[in-house]
Amino acid sequence: MSVKAFELVPAVERDLLMGDKARINVECIECCGKHLYVGTNDCFIHHFLLEEVPSQKGGIKYSAQKLQQKYLGLKKPVAELRAASALERLIVLCDGVLFLVDMATLETVPSATGSGGAKIKGVTSFCMNGNPVNTDPFCVEIAVISSRRRTVQVYTVYEDRVQLVKEVTTAEQPSVVSLDGYFLCLALASQYMILNYTTGASQDLFPYNSEERRPIVKRIGREEFLLAAPGGLGMFANAEGVSQRAPVNWSESVIGAAVCFPYVVALDQDFISIHSMLDQQLKQSLAFRDGHILQDFEGKVVLASTKAVYVLVPLPLEQQIQDLLSGDRVEEALVLTEGAQPNIPRDRFQILHRRILQQAGFIQFGQLQFQEAQEYFRKGELDVRELISLYPLLLPPTSSFTRCHPPLHPFADLNHLAQGDLEKVLRCKRFLISYLGSVRGTEASRASREEVDTALLKLYAEQDHESLLDLLASDNTCLLADSSPWLEKHSKFFALGLLYRCNGQDSAALQLWIRVADGELQDSTRPDLYEYIVDFLTFCPNLDLVWRYSDWALKRDPKVGVQIFTKRSSGKDQSGQPMPDDVITYLEKHSPARLLYLEHLVLERRIKKEKFHSLLAVLYLEQVLSLLEGAPPPAPGQLSLARERLQALLRESNLYRVQLLLGKMEGCDQLLLERATLHGKLEDHGKALDILVHQLQDYSSAEAYCLWASSSSSQGAACRQQLLHLLLDMYLGGGAEERRGDLEMAAVDLLNRHGERFDAVRVLSVLPEGWSLQLLKPFLGRAVRTSVHASRTSRLALGLSRAENLQLLHDRLKERKKPILVSEKRGCHLCHNTFSCPDVVCLPGAVPVHTHCIAHRLSDSALNTHADSAPSKHVDSAPNKNSTQNSNHT
Amino acid sequence: MPEISKMKKPDVKVVILGDMNVGKTSLLHRYTERKFRDTISTVGGAFYLKQWGPYNISIWDTAGREQFHGLGSMYCRGAAAVILTYDVTSWQSLAELEERFLSLTDTANHDCIYAIVGNKADLTDPRAQLPADPQSPAEGGEPGTGPRVPSACPTPPASPLSPGSPPQQVGREEAAALYGRVLRYKGLDEGSSLPADRMCFETSARTGYNVDLLFETLFDLVLPSILRKRTENQRSPTVDLEDYCEPPGRRRGCC
Ligand SMILES: Nc1nc2c(ncn2[C@@H]2O[C@H](COP(=O)(O)OP(=O)(O)OP(=O)(O)O)[C@@H](O)[C@H]2O)c(=O)[nH]1
Ligand SMILES: [Mg+2]
Repeated sequence: MSVKAFELVPAVERDLLMGDKARINVECIECCGKHLYVGTNDCFIHHFLLEEVPSQKGGIKYSAQKLQQKYLGLKKPVAELRAASALERLIVLCDGVLFLVDMATLETVPSATGSGGAKIKGVTSFCMNGNPVNTDPFCVEIAVISSRRRTVQVYTVYEDRVQLVKEVTTAEQPSVVSLDGYFLCLALASQYMILNYTTGASQDLFPYNSEERRPIVKRIGREEFLLAAPGGLGMFANAEGVSQRAPVNWSESVIGAAVCFPYVVALDQDFISIHSMLDQQLKQSLAFRDGHILQDFEGKVVLASTKAVYVLVPLPLEQQIQDLLSGDRVEEALVLTEGAQPNIPRDRFQILHRRILQQAGFIQFGQLQFQEAQEYFRKGELDVRELISLYPLLLPPTSSFTRCHPPLHPFADLNHLAQGDLEKVLRCKRFLISYLGSVRGTEASRASREEVDTALLKLYAEQDHESLLDLLASDNTCLLADSSPWLEKHSKFFALGLLYRCNGQDSAALQLWIRVADGELQDSTRPDLYEYIVDFLTFCPNLDLVWRYSDWALKRDPKVGVQIFTKRSSGKDQSGQPMPDDVITYLEKHSPARLLYLEHLVLERRIKKEKFHSLLAVLYLEQVLSLLEGAPPPAPGQLSLARERLQALLRESNLYRVQLLLGKMEGCDQLLLERATLHGKLEDHGKALDILVHQLQDYSSAEAYCLWASSSSSQGAACRQQLLHLLLDMYLGGGAEERRGDLEMAAVDLLNRHGERFDAVRVLSVLPEGWSLQLLKPFLGRAVRTSVHASRTSRLALGLSRAENLQLLHDRLKERKKPILVSEKRGCHLCHNTFSCPDVVCLPGAVPVHTHCIAHRLSDSALNTHADSAPSKHVDSAPNKNSTQNSNHT
Repeated sequence: MPEISKMKKPDVKVVILGDMNVGKTSLLHRYTERKFRDTISTVGGAFYLKQWGPYNISIWDTAGREQFHGLGSMYCRGAAAVILTYDVTSWQSLAELEERFLSLTDTANHDCIYAIVGNKADLTDPRAQLPADPQSPAEGGEPGTGPRVPSACPTPPASPLSPGSPPQQVGREEAAALYGRVLRYKGLDEGSSLPADRMCFETSARTGYNVDLLFETLFDLVLPSILRKRTENQRSPTVDLEDYCEPPGRRRGCC
């Protein structure tokens, strides 16, 4: 409980009213602007001027000045007083008589002549219509409970007379009445009811024993009443008899009640209770001795004890809300704020509401209720920097942000909030991480993008959060100047490099990373940092950087480093890519890398450029030569590996400068195979084979040479045959006496292995006489089989071609299946004589000719060409008539 | 005196009636807050404004205590739906509905719909013991045995869940019978009214069993009432032929 919603301020003290006369009591009050009228039980009306004056404490005080007092002369208490300010009249009920008194002089108004007078007799109670139906401003409407049984009268009151409008009877005796428009709300003996005095329609509200407990009927607004209900309730009812607000639970013995939005104020004998209409809760309760009257006048709640008058001054809404907030009563504060919405101008409400939401958020935040806090921050559109500024050092010093004033929360910073509890600090930080993550990129945080990103970066770095790199890899607005010391402090050098990159300082990033990779700085974020740098350079479009930092990468590991050049995009768009020539020059100092790069160019990208091929061949050769010379003997296999590479290149490439290489090999007897290849490239096959056969005596290589050297030739088979014959001749041509046998064996082997590739006739003519048939059996077998095979294959091919040709002709004929017209009037295309019978031959193109003419023609051409191009013999034996018919159809 | 700000005017009213302690407040609380928590016996009444699509529905939670009985008909005035609530473990609470509460509904709309709701089903029905959280509907029993399907065999009173459970449990058929008597009291024809098996519910505010179903079924049923009220409010003397609605229950047949 305990919101301070109202303050009880004395207005007229006992002294001013009755001094020390103990018997005199206040009976009724009326307040109209600054004028306060008090009716007493000794038949006096006291008239005061009530001025509001500010008190030292910031609230207000009242100073009352007595203007006059008037004895009405009836010796009875003044029962009720109502002001009709437009008429300048007070309506007074005293001793069962209702009459008018001048507001200024308090003189009783004499009745106007000729009218019904200005008095109503036999009145027990009356009320004014809060929602008059008469449009005349110079009259008021009142409802009167008459002392005659079960009668209610409605009057119009003028300056000097009253006029009966309507009289209605009720089922039971009414005790209290209230009037709104045409609706009388009445407390009867056993129930409340609503009665439309013009139509007579009535609506029972609910039972209430008016004899047991004092009924209350209080008009609180347009067609809405507040009623005392059984069980100590304040019930709301509208003119239709419907309750639109939940009841408040005040007490069983309420004397008077009023509404001062959003509160229901009720007076009991010893206290005032204040309930909110918004949540029905009791919000404040004030002690008040001898409570007697509670009434509201134009929104001002005035109370009286039997001896004095007070005003219940509402505290400003904002103060009430702040009170609630300072008691951490977030929900209530919000209900109050939102409930007051209709009473506050729109824009002011929005500002207020937002602020309350933000404060509510910080209260929840202070209690580490992060989910609730986040929701309030979101709804309250909190400037996220308010939150960031709670965390020491997170806001960049360059930020223009200053905390909102008055402050939204009492916390100096996070340490103040957590009171040294590190666990709390940590939880708050985790919350901020998730909160910033959620607002990042939203429209609401646009203005503070830099602060948000920078704070996130710092938190990630400090918490060793995996999202640090994601943040830096994405589009971000982290401030470099502020973040870099922070990242350094937390040894996040890799991340710092990324941040440099985001700020377009790739060079700085590289320098930093290189220092980490070299172990000068410690950051284990990426164990593969070296590879990362290489990768970075590989895809770096800035060639300056590439030239500048590749050196370092190549030195560290040429094999990996060279990827900077080899893995660069080799796509079509070569603009912005380094020229291979430049790269080669650049790599001069890094020969292993240069070799790899050349291999990449020549073997992978297959760039057809003499320079690269020659250079690569030379490099390979130099490698072999150095291995051959090798002061430290090379590892086993190394030499052969190097030679194989060289040989492969020499064999496969046609672009290198053969003479250059030959020149370099001059005088090196160990590279005969390579030399043979080079001679082969020059098509100097004799020399090549000579080297292989006579110097190397490597017959299998010689044989392989023949196959290789002919394979690149355009006339492969013919060339191969020629080379094989050349080799055979070389074998048979002899050499040193002691090798003759060997060579002959090689010749036999060659023949037997490649029988089908030789020109058998030519072989037979060069073979020595003495060789046995047995020796050459495989060769001969192969030769004969090859020959037979060739003959059969070609015949087969011929047959197939013919069949195909026939098929095609057939298809063609079918395509143009038109009847062929033969008639006595048409001539043969060959002899130009007319046809006499339907037997004709049709040439392609549906040209009919005489059978004998084509036979003649064929035998002629058969003599000239061997090609068999006989036209298909198609005889259209259909009778002429029929053909003509068909043609008619087409 | 300044006018008191009017609240958002609800389009339609639903009232929960029933004896004290049957769990009216708990039901409403479960529906609106999705929680079950300790309650204190309601004083007077309270209401909750529910946004249902474009409509505002006010749900009134009334006090079951005898003392506040007189207020009931006022709450019911103009109601479009009344939820008559009893406690499935208390025969008396069902009887009270007929004896005390039914007459309060005299002030409700003529086309008001009535639901008979047996709360605290978790005490008698094992199905109602599972948390019926909408996020995990898989837990809410087999879909085949929809809660509205009247069970072929009523909860056997011979197998109470806990040995101490009150013996006088209320079965579904008794609730259905009461529903029939409510219709008769209202002078409604059973044939043209909503059937008992649609309008009798067994719920548990404690587990949430059938609670959403109850409220949402009612909201859907009162929609026509909202629409009619809206058109009444903007009634024009012109007859709108386009807007003409076939009175429910009478379908135009073919010849
Ligand atoms: N087991 C069980 N207990 C329930 C259930 N609903 C309510 N209760 C209990 O029943 C008691 C009464 O609940 P309330 O919701 O206050 O009952 P009510 O109908 O609002 O009572 P009044 O406000 O006095 O009219 C409380 O102790 C609840 O915990 C339920 O579904 N299952
Ligand atoms: Mg309750």
